[in-house]
Amino acid sequence: MQDGIALTTLDEFLNWGRKNSLWPMTFGLACCAIEMMATGAAKYDLERFGCGAFMATPRRADLMIVAGTVTLKMATRVKLLYEQMAEPKYVISMGSCANKGGPYWQHGYHVLKGVDEVVPVDVYVPGCPPRPEALIEGVMTLQKKIANERLLRDKWVKHA
Amino acid sequence: MLNELVSKINSAVSGANASLLTPEDSKLESSILVDAKKIHAVAEFLKKSKIMNALQAISGVDYVEFIEVVYIFGNFDIANPGQLLLKARITDRVNGNIDTISDLFPAADYQERECFDMLGITFNNHPDHRRILCPDDWEGFPLRKDYVAAKNYNGMEVFPEGKMNMADREFIVRQEMIKKAQEAQSGKVQ
Repeated sequence: MQDGIALTTLDEFLNWGRKNSLWPMTFGLACCAIEMMATGAAKYDLERFGCGAFMATPRRADLMIVAGTVTLKMATRVKLLYEQMAEPKYVISMGSCANKGGPYWQHGYHVLKGVDEVVPVDVYVPGCPPRPEALIEGVMTLQKKIANERLLRDKWVKHA
Repeated sequence: MLNELVSKINSAVSGANASLLTPEDSKLESSILVDAKKIHAVAEFLKKSKIMNALQAISGVDYVEFIEVVYIFGNFDIANPGQLLLKARITDRVNGNIDTISDLFPAADYQERECFDMLGITFNNHPDHRRILCPDDWEGFPLRKDYVAAKNYNGMEVFPEGKMNMADREFIVRQEMIKKAQEAQSGKVQ
């Protein structure tokens, strides 16, 4: 297809680019992080969906996968890391602990009852821990969400 | 064998008051109870006489009447392998303190910090006496029987009502009852 022309809207083009180059942050808290590592490794290969470039700094990442138990001590750090990420930024809450406190939800004096208490969450992935397929499903759900955003028309007010 | 060791400790360290603790269940391991003030001397004796050459763990138990510090020593010498449970009891819940043995066994450093973090026992002469697991501004010692879970920490709600199963809040109710009882008691003292 030489000198071909493809027609699309600018929104769709930008979203297509953004959703297929999600850079997650290298950030694991507990056993869910082991599954997250498995998801990124060769067998499940998150890279197939344009989401495998785990960044070692929040400044370059635009997706935070909260994988594991968020203790009260860690919660302040999670919030700080989230604030350091550049807009637009997304959060996947992975596993029961990050969703609603998990096994610590009733008696855990030291566990935050869901990471959504401190940062806004886009996609919840249930499971204890979720299988790599479940995390991939979560990432693909987030990609669908990004594909439907209208970055140019709507003022960016999501995290205001 | 433990009886021999008890008499050895008593003759080597004056005032150690070593005695054998035998649990009711014969399958469980017997242990040696020593005076908390002499724990450093006893550990020094165990190390210098080469009866034990390693510290495996330090843990603590709150028995309400007293707090027990449990030292698990090991001897990894092939000629004379063995393990020893050494216990010391602290009755003062507020100012309870015991000497550190981290100068003899460096492994004791973190273990003693954890013991302080969870049960509030002060270890005298410890090189780095801070909390190790809980944040530095944490209130209370979580493994104590009379610990009351905080409702808020740094502006975060620990038990948000919307997320709790409020029909089953025995735990919180019990904590509140303990707190009320404590307040009533402290009111009487004043």
